Amino acid sequence: MITKHITEVTSRFNPFTKPSKTCRVFLAHLPANARNTMKINTTVLERNSQEPSFLKLKFKDGKEMQLDTEKLKINDVVEEVDRHSRVLNRQADLTGN
Amino acid sequence: MPPRLRICPQCYHLLKHQPTSYRYLATASAITPAAPPFQTISSPPPIARFPRTQPPSHKPPEFRKSQLHRQYTSLLRSTPLLLLFQHNNLKATEWMSIRRELQFALEKVDNDLSTNLAPAIKIQTIQVGIFESALLVAEYFDPKQHRTASKPHPTDPSTQSSVSLANHTPTPADPTFRHYLSRTAHAAASPYKESHPLRPLLSGPLAAMSFPTVTPQHMRAALSILAPKAPTFPAPTRRANPGYHDATVQQGLQKLMLLGARVEGKVFDNEGARWVGGIQGGMEGLRGQLVRILGEVGAGVTGALEGMGRSLWVTVEARRSMLEEEEKGTSGGSNEGLANKGKEHSIGLWSVIWGRNPNR
Repeated sequence: MITKHITEVTSRFNPFTKPSKTCRVFLAHLPANARNTMKINTTVLERNSQEPSFLKLKFKDGKEMQLDTEKLKINDVVEEVDRHSRVLNRQADLTGN
Repeated sequence: MPPRLRICPQCYHLLKHQPTSYRYLATASAITPAAPPFQTISSPPPIARFPRTQPPSHKPPEFRKSQLHRQYTSLLRSTPLLLLFQHNNLKATEWMSIRRELQFALEKVDNDLSTNLAPAIKIQTIQVGIFESALLVAEYFDPKQHRTASKPHPTDPSTQSSVSLANHTPTPADPTFRHYLSRTAHAAASPYKESHPLRPLLSGPLAAMSFPTVTPQHMRAALSILAPKAPTFPAPTRRANPGYHDATVQQGLQKLMLLGARVEGKVFDNEGARWVGGIQGGMEGLRGQLVRILGEVGAGVTGALEGMGRSLWVTVEARRSMLEEEEKGTSGGSNEGLANKGKEHSIGLWSVIWGRNPNR
């Protein structure tokens, strides 16, 4: 997963539900030094909470991406993120940065 | 079939004694009977084909995952208190410094309580799939409820080689094997795979922190290091513990997430774990609270039961003092009048006791 264009990650999940796996695995996909390059807000809900889990990303170009992790699996999330990150990669290549 | 060694016709007279020798042979075979025919075809070997400490298992024991399974089962059986964390790409140096800080905090608690639990409390990353299987085996498989191994055991030196034993061939499907890696254990645990309450937690990178006993004081110290949250679990101040505020420790802690806990077989979430850690005075404090609550209940019940008798006693006593005062006041009256009065008073007293109206 290309993570160098992400500036902010906000996630909220109840770990005792099955869809929370996507959020948790996404957080585990971020590199070891991710806290230096992006802001990460994580909220762990309590067990009886019925709130749906969600994942919100912000990119360097200002794009915000809200991902419904109740439906998406981790591969789908990675695909979504990479799709936009590749565009940013290409722009960076073209501008010569 | 004709005999292979041909006997010359001249020698037949030498074989005249043969019938008697056959008779002797017949008596000899009567003393030690021959083995039944089915044993000659498939007799169980009297010697086990495996060492007693290495019975055949469902998974090959030489695999790392089999040994991890054994390790996790033993851990889950022995530890009543387990905290589960998610670790997101912690570096080795970060782990090292976090463990160091944890050790300091736990040793401090040990000094305060004069216990020696700090060396036994440790945090380790776990293989989630194997841990899940081990959890099911540890919870739902009880070796005592399954069939015991055959006796006498084939590896017992006192077992004779001719003794007939139950099945002890090295097949893992043998139901007499009752160890945690056996097929019996696997079959007993596998139906609960979907229904275990801890199951949704067991995905992604996990670390487990195990305590040898339920010690809320140690747990509070550990949580204030690993997942600080004021006011119950405040992080150590920079003045009290400067090492805690090192960059490596802080960067590592940002990547640790407390997910839940397993306390004496019950599953708790984040807040539940903090509630267990927040018990004031530890288990002793909890027992003290319980005793106090039970004492209060007892005192209430005694008071309620005592109340009626006491009120009766008060009434009777008041009546008696009233009578005595009246007696003193009318001490100059006639004897007959006194006797009548006394009778009346005694009726009045009994009616008070039985709750009746004396004039009825």
